Amino acid sequence: MSKAFQKLVLGCGLLSLAHAAYSAAQHRTYLRITEQEFTTLPLDIILQAVISLAIIIYSILSLKSDWKLIHATDLQEKSSWETLSNIQSFYTFNHRGKAIFNPHYLQPAPVSMDSLH
Amino acid sequence: MAELLIDPNIRGWVFLPIVVITFLVGIIRHYVSNLISSTKKIELTQLQDSQAMIRARLLRENGKYLTPQSFAMRRHFFNNEESGYFKTQKRPPVTPNSSAMLTDLVKGNFINVLPMVVIGGWINWMFSGFVTTKVPFPLTLRFKPMLQRGVELQSLDASWVSSASWYFLNVFGLRNIYTLVLGENNAADQTQSMQDQMSLNAAGQMPQDPKQAFKNEWEALEITEYKNALHNVCDDLLVSVSEPMTNNIHH
Amino acid sequence: MSSNRVKTRETKSGEIIAYSESAVRQNLINVEYVKTSLASLAGCTAGILGLTGLLGFIFYLVSLLGFFGLLIVKTGSNWQKYFISRKSLLTNGFLGGLCTYTLFWTFIYGMVHVY
Repeated sequence: MSKAFQKLVLGCGLLSLAHAAYSAAQHRTYLRITEQEFTTLPLDIILQAVISLAIIIYSILSLKSDWKLIHATDLQEKSSWETLSNIQSFYTFNHRGKAIFNPHYLQPAPVSMDSLH
Repeated sequence: MAELLIDPNIRGWVFLPIVVITFLVGIIRHYVSNLISSTKKIELTQLQDSQAMIRARLLRENGKYLTPQSFAMRRHFFNNEESGYFKTQKRPPVTPNSSAMLTDLVKGNFINVLPMVVIGGWINWMFSGFVTTKVPFPLTLRFKPMLQRGVELQSLDASWVSSASWYFLNVFGLRNIYTLVLGENNAADQTQSMQDQMSLNAAGQMPQDPKQAFKNEWEALEITEYKNALHNVCDDLLVSVSEPMTNNIHH
Repeated sequence: MSSNRVKTRETKSGEIIAYSESAVRQNLINVEYVKTSLASLAGCTAGILGLTGLLGFIFYLVSLLGFFGLLIVKTGSNWQKYFISRKSLLTNGFLGGLCTYTLFWTFIYGMVHVY
């Protein structure tokens, strides 16, 4: 089903719920005017409210359908060979290119191998 | 229980406006805080320190896969007495009362506390003394002072709600609606941001005193014992390869 | 790219499965969205019906269960592709939802039945 249709259904459900609310309020006013005791709402209002709630929830759930696959393997199926070799955790900016291409580079003092444990 | 009849004008001029005001104030708070909040600036040295700490931790945990010489080299870089990173880098203790932090605090108070007090006080003054609605479930008498602020009536049932309390019910109930309308991580929710302020110091980017943190990391790295995890890797491989073959021979 | 972190979790059979953290979070946010709307709309309906006392809270539980059933029907047998655990879908954010539900319940009840 298309998104537009789902949105239409959602709008209809909301309208129907609002209509049920209005009917219930009218019913309450009528009872108060005729001085009757309130027990329950008429069955048609109850049915209308519950059914429209179900319709609304169903359409919201259908509209929010952009579920993502959570398994990492599913993600990798889509990635191409170029992105696969692009591993950011292994990036290093502190390598020998610094010494080779920088004319003002000062070599640090040599470290004797004895101080390495 | 006597059924109270409430003037429908209260619905139009008190009950609904409080809901609308609470909701709209939340929305406005979101946009105002978006406007005046500045992105937090991270100091370069701080970032450097935390990255160095991460590297040292990784070395401690995964160093067993390196060759002995590589491990010693990396440890030397951090822990050498004369030129080690943790020994040479001297950081002054971070002063928490820097001006940037202070303005952030003032801004946070300005956004969070002020509207709460001002709007709450205004609603209390503007709509004072109305019985607005009734909660549809019975409550004990203990809830009376909580739900009937501004209406002190001895004989009124506890489930009736006064206008001031209706405002506070709205503040707490609309919290999830803001996520619905504004998306995640919005600034409309004041209770959430208060919690953030509490935990700000606990889970900062970097511990308050880098000197102490460096010392701890230095100690931990110093006592790390190097043990090559790949020492027997050749034998293991040969065993695992030869096992199926011997099995085949037996059968 | 940093949101594409991967976290692993061990299943009961000792198998280690890698999850994409951003996808998990996205799905949970979606569920939270639907649950908040559910809480507010169920509150509206309960207010319209004029439920009082325990009945209203039972209605919240029933609507939550109904939503859960609907979600299971929609995702079908391959729910494991989308969620780590099914039980947390039901229990997550229960109290926050109840807060919203109570507000809307009180609101609509007041609008329809009190005045």
